[in-house]
Amino acid sequence: MKLIFEKSIKGRDGYSLPQDLFDEIKIEECLPEYAISKDKKLLSEISEVDVVRHFTKLSKLNYGLDDGFYPLGSCTMKYNPKINENLASLSNFIYAHPLAPEETVQGCLEIAYDLNKLLCEITGIDEYTMAPAAGAHGELTGILIMRKYFVDHGDIRHKMLIPDSAHGTNPASAAMGGFQVIEVKSNEKGTVDLKILAELMDEDTVGLMLTNPNTVGLFDEGIEEIKKIVHGKGGLLYYDGANLNASLGITRPGDAGFDIVHLNLHKTFSTPHGGGGPGAGVIGVKKDLIPYLPTPNVAFNSERNKYYLLDAGEKSIGMVRAFWSNFAVLLKTYAWILSMGPDGLYNTSETSIINANYVLAKIKKYYTPAYDRYCGHECTVTGREYKKYGVKTLDIAKRIMDYGMHPPTIYFPHFEPYAEETIMVEPTESESKETLDKFIDIMIKISDEAKTNPELLTTAPHNTPIRRTNDTLAVKRAILTYDDELKLKDELNYQEKDINF
Amino acid sequence: MRYIPNTEEQKKEMLKEIGVSSFEDLIESIPQSIRVKGKLNIPEAISETELEEKIYHIAQKNSNFFLMKPLIGAGAYRHYIPEAVKFLLQREEFWTCYTPYQPELSQGTLQSIFEYQTYISRLIKMEVIIPSIYDGASATAEAALMSLRLTHKNKIIVSNLLHPHYRETLKTYLAPHEPEIIDLPYKNGLVDIEKLKTLLDEDVVSVIIQSPNFFGGIEKLAEISEIVHSKSILLINVITESMSLGILKAPGETGADIVTGNAQSFGMDLNYGGPYNAYLATKKQYIRQLPGRIVGETVDVDGKRVFVMTMRAREQDIRREKATSNICTNHNLNVLATNIYLSLMGTEGIYQLSLLNTKSAHYLENLLLKSGKFEKVFNYPFYNEFLLKSKEDISTINKKLLENNFIPPLKIGEFYKEENLKNVLLFAVTEVLSRDNLNKVARILSE
Amino acid sequence: MSTKVIENLYYAKSDEWLKVEDDLGTVGISDYAQDQLGDIVYLEKVEKGKKIKPGEALTTIESVKAVSDVCAPVSGEVVEVNEKLLDDTSVVNKDPYGKGWIAKIKIENKDELKNLMNAQEYSEYRKE
Repeated sequence: MKLIFEKSIKGRDGYSLPQDLFDEIKIEECLPEYAISKDKKLLSEISEVDVVRHFTKLSKLNYGLDDGFYPLGSCTMKYNPKINENLASLSNFIYAHPLAPEETVQGCLEIAYDLNKLLCEITGIDEYTMAPAAGAHGELTGILIMRKYFVDHGDIRHKMLIPDSAHGTNPASAAMGGFQVIEVKSNEKGTVDLKILAELMDEDTVGLMLTNPNTVGLFDEGIEEIKKIVHGKGGLLYYDGANLNASLGITRPGDAGFDIVHLNLHKTFSTPHGGGGPGAGVIGVKKDLIPYLPTPNVAFNSERNKYYLLDAGEKSIGMVRAFWSNFAVLLKTYAWILSMGPDGLYNTSETSIINANYVLAKIKKYYTPAYDRYCGHECTVTGREYKKYGVKTLDIAKRIMDYGMHPPTIYFPHFEPYAEETIMVEPTESESKETLDKFIDIMIKISDEAKTNPELLTTAPHNTPIRRTNDTLAVKRAILTYDDELKLKDELNYQEKDINF
Repeated sequence: MRYIPNTEEQKKEMLKEIGVSSFEDLIESIPQSIRVKGKLNIPEAISETELEEKIYHIAQKNSNFFLMKPLIGAGAYRHYIPEAVKFLLQREEFWTCYTPYQPELSQGTLQSIFEYQTYISRLIKMEVIIPSIYDGASATAEAALMSLRLTHKNKIIVSNLLHPHYRETLKTYLAPHEPEIIDLPYKNGLVDIEKLKTLLDEDVVSVIIQSPNFFGGIEKLAEISEIVHSKSILLINVITESMSLGILKAPGETGADIVTGNAQSFGMDLNYGGPYNAYLATKKQYIRQLPGRIVGETVDVDGKRVFVMTMRAREQDIRREKATSNICTNHNLNVLATNIYLSLMGTEGIYQLSLLNTKSAHYLENLLLKSGKFEKVFNYPFYNEFLLKSKEDISTINKKLLENNFIPPLKIGEFYKEENLKNVLLFAVTEVLSRDNLNKVARILSE
Repeated sequence: MSTKVIENLYYAKSDEWLKVEDDLGTVGISDYAQDQLGDIVYLEKVEKGKKIKPGEALTTIESVKAVSDVCAPVSGEVVEVNEKLLDDTSVVNKDPYGKGWIAKIKIENKDELKNLMNAQEYSEYRKE
């Protein structure tokens, strides 16, 4: 499909400006010569009509959650309620400047304050900061809090324990936090090997980062022992909340002994993924860690009946972003929690766990599970047995697209020997039994195709707007802007095909 | 519950097919000691109408911001966003989809990111653009970390006129790595270039300069660049008001090695502070040290031009603790918002708008000086933000403005404690303030 | 599908091969390694004169989906680097034991060779 720049025609425009452009003022009187750009920055010139058509067409090349099943394990692709979008676009919120006087933004502050209280109750934690903009951002914030806690106590520690099954952001965040990453192997049941953990945990280790249920979708029943081991050596327990969708109303990380928790509001709490964000990765801590939270936080003065921004004090780790939070995301989260209530939250987790186990039970005959036990809200199977037909998990995923569904997560998690060629399915509570049955049928069909017609899979997808991409060429050519492409124009030979509707 | 299709009946059926007698069998591995006893202590669910009423009610506790014109910027700027931007953004294919790991199902997202990369590259004249870090502050921190990785030295010089939140964030991110952060003071509202010369030594990795700076002043970037590069030090430029790129020289033209920019002005509402979006740009030679996602062009098996995430070997899912950053989910929808916004505004729109912002800001400053109630603090060239010292108590001034439906300017003393900045305000003007609005401001403050 | 293993070479557990000619050792990655990595797109420049110990990284090799350290199989000093790889990294995929050699090192201590595997042992180790 043509790029927007290829639709540019001189003289076209898609904007409107007021009549009064202060023509009586000369720009040279305002700005010094060294500052003014010699030429205009050449962007593009396109009418509003053509811009709307361009992006409308582009959208049709995407598959969205409202199109159908999107079972990405670890991403919690659940339905995004439309009323929440409406409420987040109210003008009193969207035009609120972050530095507006506190008395003018009492509504925003009330929502942030109330959300804090709700999340504390849902997770068994004492206080949340709304600052982090994403899960990984939250991880970094949490790790910096852990670091400051130990530095403040005159106890300098250098290591962080992270399970081999952990999401890549965990070790990456620990490294950004200045810690040496020590990997803890999983046992044959898919959970943290307690013996190895006990050997590795020492007084030079800040603690353990744990996702529970873990990245393979299994609840780690060793959690009580894990708590003893880590706390026993004065360490802290960090909870990666990516998989909270399996725990709402069932168990709370705070009760399980976690000291720090991050939540992905764009996962568990229904805010839209937007093609890769924005979300929010709020961080909750037990009371000993409250002094280290980023600044500022929202507080309430009961005498004056006013909300206000409170400076977190000198033990705070500082700021991790400008201003306060991804407020629009907080609002949608708040609205979702109010719409669900305690029963709705429990129902969410119960249904997602049943949905995932249902899929597992039906496809495990065709795709060996990574671990043969009941799963949490997501199940992990492998495509290992199809290797002998020359079919990889990647091929299976690509073939699923031909049947009109988005494939599950593939190749994550990856740790030998159990989690290889993985396919991780997370239906979420938003999916109906009929959709699951359809998915199961597709997986069975593909299993058959792998044996009888493997080439169909290795050359899939066939029915999507584009087919398999040459990723090696992308790295080698390094065409990262349209101008890079123009420089290589003579070497390139594309078949420009428009999409048929 | 309307968001959860499966009924109790169906769940019972499914449990049977799974082969268990109850749901409890599935969660057996969760110890009883940590189970929630009874129900979570949160309010019972409310209906959609009740929700709407409740939130509208809370919204009323905010001021009626649509009609309240801001005289404040300080890193967040109200600009008019064409309706087409919001209309297109809300298409579910853009709004609800995931990160484009499967390019066959996400060419819409991928192509739009590629277009964004091109637009920003043309605006700032840099070769490689990372389209999304969460915001300008974290992007600047990432740029600093990147510069440390590139040279393995340990001093970073930071302009005192870098946005205070950005400076705080920088300190927070750098704390574990313990480089020395050296303050670069200002003189007359701009970076003190003479002082800068004395601070550059062989342990300095990079110099971070914001322009237009926090006071709105336009730094002498070409001069600074020459001085910094003569010592083989990296120059990091920070932009908090990207609209300034319409009229001001691109940082790529004045020698920036790394650029971070807050893109909020291009299509994002103020939203009480977020989510915004920031780009991080550099030269091709540093590409492997860049954090974050980037999209590149290639072909598919049919020879069609397609777009994919590329250079992934830098990222956390592949490199884990050796990744250039931990960033995963970023602010992608806002990348699309900027893409649509810039497509509508185009070459002329951004240029004209940037001009308008400059002129109207200077118009207001002029009026306020003429009123006799204000005086200049420093004499520096500014883009659309400026400092003025008030003869009257600024709390009274701001109160008057609030009462007359303006979000008041920033009391600069909240961030800068210098004696000569007491009773000083940082004004910002964008195109949302008409000549009438500005005349009214001057009138109110002259009384 | 099994990958190629060449006789008369030493092999490390981390999939590097070592060809020994007197004091000179040539280092590359095995056919198994290049197959696992996929299309190789980038190799970090190896520094001539660099002194390395077994297990230390000579360079980093990058494919589209993975990154791997190429480790020194034995202690030594880098005396020659295959400059041709900077222009065309695909040689490592196409001819990993021949033209895809990565660096030549002056071997410090021949005793260390006994810590490596021979072709037979490596074949067993990487049997699929």
